[in-house]
Amino acid sequence: MKVSFSRGEKIFLTLFLIVYAGVAIWNFGKISFPEGIGKVWQVHVPLPSLLGTLNPITVIMTVVIMSILIYMAVSFKRHLSKIPSKKQAAIEIILSFVYDLVEDVIPVKEFVKPTFYVSMTLFLFIWFSNLLGGIPGISVGVSSHHLVLNLFTDTWPSPTGDLNTNVTYAVMVLFISHIFAIKLKGFKNWMKGFIDPNPIMLPMNIIGELAKPVSHSLRLFGNIAGGGIMVLMLSYLAKYTIVPMVLWGFFGFFVGTIQAFVFSMLAIAYISVQLEQ
Amino acid sequence: MADLSMAQAVVEAAKYIGAGVAMGIGAIGPAIGEGHIGQGAMESMGRQPEMVGTLTTRMLLSQAVAESTGLYALLIAFMILLF
Repeated sequence: MKVSFSRGEKIFLTLFLIVYAGVAIWNFGKISFPEGIGKVWQVHVPLPSLLGTLNPITVIMTVVIMSILIYMAVSFKRHLSKIPSKKQAAIEIILSFVYDLVEDVIPVKEFVKPTFYVSMTLFLFIWFSNLLGGIPGISVGVSSHHLVLNLFTDTWPSPTGDLNTNVTYAVMVLFISHIFAIKLKGFKNWMKGFIDPNPIMLPMNIIGELAKPVSHSLRLFGNIAGGGIMVLMLSYLAKYTIVPMVLWGFFGFFVGTIQAFVFSMLAIAYISVQLEQ
Repeated sequence: MADLSMAQAVVEAAKYIGAGVAMGIGAIGPAIGEGHIGQGAMESMGRQPEMVGTLTTRMLLSQAVAESTGLYALLIAFMILLF
């Protein structure tokens, strides 16, 4: 592959690199350790205790990503054509890839489409929010007493870096899989599945079901949040020169894509386990 | 940091030691598991070179699943250090 730049791009790149290196040399030894790592901005609202705490950043970013996705979906639908454009072809490749996977795994034919909707929606949302974790942006940190605005020293705060989002989706997948099972087998046969080899295994089966959302959600949370904290620490050690870009690329784009794929694949697998007869 | 009593100093030291040990031992299991997965994938790629694309995807998927226990160790280490 041959990469060529026009004259304007060359001038822009040179200026950018000079400014970047100048700022890096200027900052060397001055930057203090980022305060409040691992702490989240929380707001208390007058509601009963469990509902009373809000994470405003998560809510804002979730709404932003949702509106981006809805806008993309609507504009995609409007410009559909028999001869696909580049954008349409790319989206069709992603969708048909997941659809083929679902068709292979799900044993019952009438549940292929619902499972596809669930897993594809999860994949798109989680993928977009993970990709935001690879782009430098504005985030709000918490020091001991007040809020700190981080301008472009950190990535955009991604909703999947908050355990609440991931637990919501994991529990949702658990409920959906059991509802599908009840619809397919009927209530009595579904209850029989819990005492499968013999009634002694009942507690084991229940614990096994409850352990699914825990590992499902903590895997994504550990990858995104742990990666974010690690990038912050390492880029502080390197004084925000060169290293953050490499790490943002790795943790945001590579790990983010794989983890979004793993999350939706596991959702498909959990649903298909419940649908086996 | 300047005036810690002996007990507080021991607790501080134990925090750092604990986080290091948690991460160090917790990384052994995923390392062995991912090594096995990589070995299996490489062997089957050598046997069937035309399947490389599919096998790479599946290999990355199962490695990401095997990695999760290491990530639990990372989370615990961060929790010991920061909270």
